[in-house]
Amino acid sequence: MPILNNDQKYNLVKIMNDHIPHTALLGVQLECVEKEELTLRLPYQEVLVGDTATGALHGGALTVLLDQTLGMATVCCDTAKPSITPTLDLRIDHLSVAPAGMDILACAKVYKSTRKILFVEGFAYCESKDKPIAKATGSFVRVGDVDLSWLVPSTQQEP
Amino acid sequence: MTLEDIIHDDCDSALLKLWIAKVPYATFLGIQAVVCQNDILFTLPADKNLIGNPSIEALHGGVVGAFMEQSAAFHVIAKMERPVLPKTINFSLDYLRPAHLRDTYAECLLTRQGRFITNVTIIAWQEHKNKPNAIARAHFLTPETERKESTNATMGPK
Repeated sequence: MPILNNDQKYNLVKIMNDHIPHTALLGVQLECVEKEELTLRLPYQEVLVGDTATGALHGGALTVLLDQTLGMATVCCDTAKPSITPTLDLRIDHLSVAPAGMDILACAKVYKSTRKILFVEGFAYCESKDKPIAKATGSFVRVGDVDLSWLVPSTQQEP
Repeated sequence: MTLEDIIHDDCDSALLKLWIAKVPYATFLGIQAVVCQNDILFTLPADKNLIGNPSIEALHGGVVGAFMEQSAAFHVIAKMERPVLPKTINFSLDYLRPAHLRDTYAECLLTRQGRFITNVTIIAWQEHKNKPNAIARAHFLTPETERKESTNATMGPK
């Protein structure tokens, strides 16, 4: 039995996401939560360009988006209580160039949780998940539980 | 003029400044770079806009990674005999301590320069270099045809 339902996960992730100053500045938005998978959107903007000849987004901007997406996917995991989970390590494979002018979506999911560590995998893509721009693998350390008492009762009352 | 038009030999601090100006994201992050003792010291000045965790005023981990990746790319360009724009193949980052709201520094080492692939090790710190906040490794694709043969994989002068 999952600890949080889809709406509760969505609400929790939205609050967390909107409270991060740097990505709020970039306009990173929560796109959707579906079961244990979470998707964030990074709007295309010229300040994030890495190569002005092509208009392609900088690899580092993808690192920011993927770090955040994988980190937030930890609260969508049904086998671990939502925790504060700093990144232990992150590996990014750059599979293709991010096309100019396009928003980037990033999805992620925990594929294994242990008492202390969550192993997460995610992808960045534009139009289709079948054409990933980057793949990320990360491990996250559980350092403390998130207080959910405010979230669970209030959302359970809703129809 | 793009970055590609101004990458050439004999990199100095003034040229590094021009390179950064040609990369919108590097400019956005506020990256700075100076040549010192045949090496390049990269700096990411403290900026509240780069915070990822407001409760402990820690920089966003992704930003630290982005800074290190960009530093590595500039380092590769600077150390090439005939520079080309390197393409990042992959980037692997270990977070050792949270980066607080203060200046972050990075230095890079060309661990191995192959014919197509360059392996770079990056270290980032705030307080002291022997207390790194993050270490990273990057692989870059550097087309063979554009480069002179080089076996020099040290931090020393070209």
